[in-house]
Amino acid sequence: MTEPNGKDCAGLTRRGFLKTSAATAGVTVGSGIIGAPMIWAQNIKDVTLNQVGPSYSVIADIAEKASADLGFKIVPQTADSTALMAKVVNQPETIDIADLEFWAMQKVWRSGKLQPVEVAKIANWSKMTPLMKDGKNFDGSELSRQGTMPFEVMFTGGPGDTSFAAEATDYATTMPTIYNADTVGIRSDLIGRPVESWAELFNPEFKGKTALVNIPQIGIMDAAMALEAMGELTYGDKGNMTREEIDHTITRLIELKKAGQFRAFWSTFDESVNLMAAGEVVIQSMWSPAVTAVKSRGIGCVYQGLKEGYRGWGLGMGLMGHLEGLKLEAAYEYMNWYLSGWQGAFIARQGYYSSVPETAKANLTPNEIGYWYEGKPASEDILDPYGAVMDKAGAVRDGGSFEDRMGNVACWNTVMDEERYMVQRWNEFISA
Amino acid sequence: MSARSPGSGSQLTPYLQVAPLALLILALVGIPIGTVFMLSFWESDGISVYPAFTWQNYHDVLTASVTLSLFANTLKYAAIVLVATVLIGFTCSYFLVFHVRNLKWQIGLFLLCTIPFWTSNVIRMVSWIPFLGREGLFNQMLMQAGLISQPLDILLYSDFAVVLTYIHLFTLFMIVPIFNSMAKINPNLIEAARDAGANPFQILTGIIIPLSKTGIALGSIFVVTLVMGDFFVVRVMSGGQSASVVSAMKNEIDQLFYPQASAMAVLLVLVVVLMVSAILRVVDIRAELAR
Amino acid sequence: MSQSTPTRRGADFYILAAFFGLFVLFLYGPMLMIFILSFQGPTGGLTFPMRGVSTHWFHDLWSSSRYGDLGGAFRRSLILGVMAMLITATVCLFAALGFRRRFWGAGPIFYLSIISLIVPGILLGLGISQLFQILGLRLSWWLSGLGAHLSWTLPFGLLIMFAVLNRFDGSWEEAARDAGAHPWQVLRLVTVPILFPGLIAVALFGFTLSYDEMPRSLLTVGGKNTLPIEISNMTTNVTTPALYAIGTVTSAVSFLVIALAFAGIAIIQRQRSRAKRGKN
Repeated sequence: MTEPNGKDCAGLTRRGFLKTSAATAGVTVGSGIIGAPMIWAQNIKDVTLNQVGPSYSVIADIAEKASADLGFKIVPQTADSTALMAKVVNQPETIDIADLEFWAMQKVWRSGKLQPVEVAKIANWSKMTPLMKDGKNFDGSELSRQGTMPFEVMFTGGPGDTSFAAEATDYATTMPTIYNADTVGIRSDLIGRPVESWAELFNPEFKGKTALVNIPQIGIMDAAMALEAMGELTYGDKGNMTREEIDHTITRLIELKKAGQFRAFWSTFDESVNLMAAGEVVIQSMWSPAVTAVKSRGIGCVYQGLKEGYRGWGLGMGLMGHLEGLKLEAAYEYMNWYLSGWQGAFIARQGYYSSVPETAKANLTPNEIGYWYEGKPASEDILDPYGAVMDKAGAVRDGGSFEDRMGNVACWNTVMDEERYMVQRWNEFISA
Repeated sequence: MSARSPGSGSQLTPYLQVAPLALLILALVGIPIGTVFMLSFWESDGISVYPAFTWQNYHDVLTASVTLSLFANTLKYAAIVLVATVLIGFTCSYFLVFHVRNLKWQIGLFLLCTIPFWTSNVIRMVSWIPFLGREGLFNQMLMQAGLISQPLDILLYSDFAVVLTYIHLFTLFMIVPIFNSMAKINPNLIEAARDAGANPFQILTGIIIPLSKTGIALGSIFVVTLVMGDFFVVRVMSGGQSASVVSAMKNEIDQLFYPQASAMAVLLVLVVVLMVSAILRVVDIRAELAR
Repeated sequence: MSQSTPTRRGADFYILAAFFGLFVLFLYGPMLMIFILSFQGPTGGLTFPMRGVSTHWFHDLWSSSRYGDLGGAFRRSLILGVMAMLITATVCLFAALGFRRRFWGAGPIFYLSIISLIVPGILLGLGISQLFQILGLRLSWWLSGLGAHLSWTLPFGLLIMFAVLNRFDGSWEEAARDAGAHPWQVLRLVTVPILFPGLIAVALFGFTLSYDEMPRSLLTVGGKNTLPIEISNMTTNVTTPALYAIGTVTSAVSFLVIALAFAGIAIIQRQRSRAKRGKN
């Protein structure tokens, strides 16, 4: 049964929600909640939820606004994805809501420390973008299955099931919130000619001026995109390579490294920004906010859309298995609040897409919608979530519209079957 | 002249005195290390660990060629950094102890060396980058002075940067024990040697260095263990181009492959314990203490 | 305590002084960079060139919420540092005193301490967190986090106390005992005052090591991060000179803490000597 809350207004308040749900008799809002709404409202004030996740997703502003709107406390804690995975598996009691990227969910769902999200309890699920909800592209066509397509790890059979379902079910492993399409960043001013293909990453013209991300699973996929674009090898599934494919890729990488192709390998966001801003590299793996950071310094950096496509990734909220009763209800409230628009607009200003674009757009100005989602030139300056000018009027978002970018995802961030072997060989590459 | 106080207190005293340390160390270090050791024999499927008894992890670690290159690389760093810090640490301590007259100045200058450590390590490391980069301050200074025409690439994201950062971070750990050892050298010894006609070099090699042995040994233990156990400096300052044993281990730990990482950790501990006992064979610190 | 005897300074003094000066410059270089760059203009980045001079980033640090829970993390790191410092100084003092005699188990304890330094922090942190969980204790920064920090500071403290005790003359203690002093009196009135500077060194080391510690803290802090973890997480999202502003602020605060501590000690010592003079 779906909630009667059809309005996707920003600032969805506790009281508003209560009124509508109390008005509808017989609506099950969860297990164990009986009694008058007033008692519930009283009790829920004492609930504290610990949300843990990467710093681009778990943001103090969002937690603050949610706490104010909902009446109970959200306590954010940042942890990078690998630390988060370790916590979910080893210290589940320290987390209530885990912001896990889809590849991390692929890894930790099996541990059984998380519980499924009941799709019925998420008001805006039906408004979710088809990319996540149905695993299909905007025009209904199939999405690339290379890597971990979100849909593949999105659904499960039911409570207690630690495997993934092949089709949509009533139980989701996670509620998707943020996602984006990644590509290479280039210094358009220093390169001075159009760049159209992933192959340019390994172009000897840029020797000593390129960089890759030093996270094995992601770096190797960027390398694979480049090698495939160069026509050297066609991968069966760049997100799930065979040993031979891994060997070939690593051997080529070692060759390129010895030939001096790479200036550095970056592990953190700010390293990538510095490399680009200081002109140490002219083309590298990059993340969207890093590009905007470089741009905001007036440096000509472009997040270049390439003909072979993007590398997609995404993140969602997972419910820890120990949640129950009032706390569980509060968690659902929070998740519903998340999709109601304020959060979507906030992260849109950092370049990320919301899983429910409709509500996010309702909280953005027409100018922002035009720039971030529709690929139109900005009618006025574009500001970042903290008020600083990020792009000037007249600029167009690199890569174009939402559909242009997310519709052109060639592979998704993932964990491959031969992961151990891959990490071992990646270590060899780094120490070569 | 000895620190030992024979006949003082009961037989029980040392046990009582060491008890807090012993308890804490056993609980906080002994048991966790036991866990790590045990884990190295277990199996993992990348998400959970299964109790087992398998030598597979050790087999994998010992037969992979990358293990040898990782250890070689890390040992290389340790050796270079050790030599550099000993030389720098010794010289600075020598200056402070033997050439600075005023005690207040001695302590003041000594403290001066420790203050930078109050800035977060992470930030201090990151700040080398604007200094050493292609468009960094150092290159700009060199170019303005006309010494070079192209910025030097090897300053950053290279072994040079890694070693430089290690020296920067760890020299203090060498200065403190050496300073301590030097300060206890009886000035009368030096006077006597001078009166006997020894030149400064002979005093240095005959008296000062031997009597600072403990300090140098302690400092060496610190520096060696710190370098062998590091993953952060290597990753950031080499721009990911170099690896150390622990940075490779971190990749495995990130993916929740604990048993494999544990096996490598056990190997690392064995190697470093060997290195430390070698140092201790040259200078038996505990014997010095109980003398 | 100074060893120099000649009244004229030779050339070697100046050479060594220059070397020392260069070394101090080397140590302070990055701090200076951080200090300068924290005054970066509003459109500037983490590297040179400076785009104007402003206190914009300090302002940003205070007002903007994009920097996570820095204030809280800073507070926690300071408190942890003080706790680790006090525990380390006390425990290592007693332990080193005990090590002066041969006793059963001395070797293993010593080597176990050294091993603690060697085992990679990330793995040891995992072990410690599992230990606390098995004991049924909730992971928190002031309990399991403290435990992890102690596993790092205690070995250092022990080794430094060894160095300090190396030059301690036990005959002072003997004299006091012969004069009829109770063991606790010996400790309080003779041992500790003589060892005081060394204890300060151990305490300072303990604080610094705990303040900067990250690998062991990662899995043992529970629900709230310490400063190094928070900063490190931020570097995956923040790339503004505010990072340097943080460095400047935390250095300034730590510096203040030490200065206050030393001022306090100086005042106490002056009072003591005044009292002594008064008695005579």
